[in-house]
Amino acid sequence: MYHFDWQVFWQYLLPWTALANPLIRNGLIATVVVSIVAQAAGVLFGLLAALSKMSKLPPLRWLSDAYIWYFRGTPLLVQMSLLYFGLGVTHIYDFPDIHLGFLLISGAIQAGTLALAVNEGAYMSEIVRAGIEAIDPGQMEAAKSLGMTTGLAMRRIVLPQAAKVIIPPLGNEFNNMMKTTSLMVVISAGELFFGFTQVNARIFKPFELFIAASFYYLFLTTIWTIIQARIERGLGERKGIERGPGMAKRLFSFGLGGGKGYR
Amino acid sequence: MTIGPSIVYAQTDNRVVVQVEKVNKYFGSLHVLKDVDLTVYSNEAVVIIGPSGSGKSTLLRCINHIEKINSGRISVNGRLIGYYEKNGRLVEDSERKIARHRAEIGMVFQRFNLFPHLTALENIIEAPTNVLKMPRDQAVTDARRLLQRVGLLEKQDKYPNQLSGGQQQRIAIARALAMKPSLMLFDEPTSALDPEMIGEVLDVMKELAHEITMIVVSHEMGFARAAANRIIFIDEGRIIEDTSPEELFSNPREERTKLFLSKILH
Repeated sequence: MYHFDWQVFWQYLLPWTALANPLIRNGLIATVVVSIVAQAAGVLFGLLAALSKMSKLPPLRWLSDAYIWYFRGTPLLVQMSLLYFGLGVTHIYDFPDIHLGFLLISGAIQAGTLALAVNEGAYMSEIVRAGIEAIDPGQMEAAKSLGMTTGLAMRRIVLPQAAKVIIPPLGNEFNNMMKTTSLMVVISAGELFFGFTQVNARIFKPFELFIAASFYYLFLTTIWTIIQARIERGLGERKGIERGPGMAKRLFSFGLGGGKGYR
Repeated sequence: MTIGPSIVYAQTDNRVVVQVEKVNKYFGSLHVLKDVDLTVYSNEAVVIIGPSGSGKSTLLRCINHIEKINSGRISVNGRLIGYYEKNGRLVEDSERKIARHRAEIGMVFQRFNLFPHLTALENIIEAPTNVLKMPRDQAVTDARRLLQRVGLLEKQDKYPNQLSGGQQQRIAIARALAMKPSLMLFDEPTSALDPEMIGEVLDVMKELAHEITMIVVSHEMGFARAAANRIIFIDEGRIIEDTSPEELFSNPREERTKLFLSKILH
């Protein structure tokens, strides 16, 4: 019979003791920051890929197709390993650590963030494209009839409307992103899950530690779910789009379009 | 059948605004416009009628190059629209040049196509400020004058989904006028409207007919009688009649015109 070590469990669950450990504290910070940076960059890559895919120029379309094909067609773990170890061993790029005064951004964190961002961009491009295509073509026609170029019409008329369509799935993507950052453990980037595995390597209490780790992820995703609901409600009130599901449904309904798991 | 220069209707001015020559347009294998010729002079109000699928809306959409033509040529204000001539061949213009040319042509759509994320006022100033780079204050002053004119000044801060169909279409007309176009195209402007709202839109258009060149695809015969100096009947991609409204209603030349008129006049 396994003896559950409550002392270790509480030590690593309760923030005032757990966060005293720099591995957990810095890991939590890294997970949040990497998620935000990778998601923001992912949206940007996605927008570029979506616009390229809809471009009149065939080479741009091909480039975008190839990008989406590769990054959706291969596992993120492989992409991340290729980027970090592959580029490192060939000395194409070694991902040196970056020192910003008191802040040190390790090469692994940089590579992990980049891999997450590029991978996310491939998924976001489809979301952005669907958002743009959801807008009545009459909007583009009206804008053009007023003398706007395609670019101006896209920026001023189509994208602001598409944003409303894009924001709900974008929120779900971010939820996934926070969990997916844990994959960076394979390149030993110091995020939250890496912190817990490091502690585990020292004291070998995987059951207690990974339950505690789960609670940290649940905390992050739950907070985000609440923020997301607020954003969507605000959006709905202002411009009259449909309301999202209620909080209870958001938190406890499983299997409906939610997590696509590890890529 | 005489079509073209021997014009029986009164012209208000002799300057050619729109010149359509031998235009053909295909949608795939469907031949939508067949050797269409049409000249519209300044301050004319031309109404185009015809059965659905006859090509009347397509002709209108070719005039501002929202639809590309397959052959022939269209000039607006004396310049080819959408193309330039190079060694006797037509080459498509740059997007920027087409956009600049389109800014001279206002268009009003069947489904209004107002920008739903902008208020009525913002809809109107959007193009003047971003395309013409007009200072915002001036654009707002102009927009408010236009709103006054279409009788909707008190709705300036409403979003399109807070307005009735008739109100939306009047805002759409104001939005087009804000670019100070020299030509207005109306593509079935009242056919998506509830009957009780058609009058308010037609009233605005009638007033407008006195001061700007317009081409209107519409089956509103009351409007044609009151405001048009010329009416064109299109069937199967060809212009069948081109005459004054009085002449067309009292004395249609072609059998199919008679048939069509009997249908729309009940």
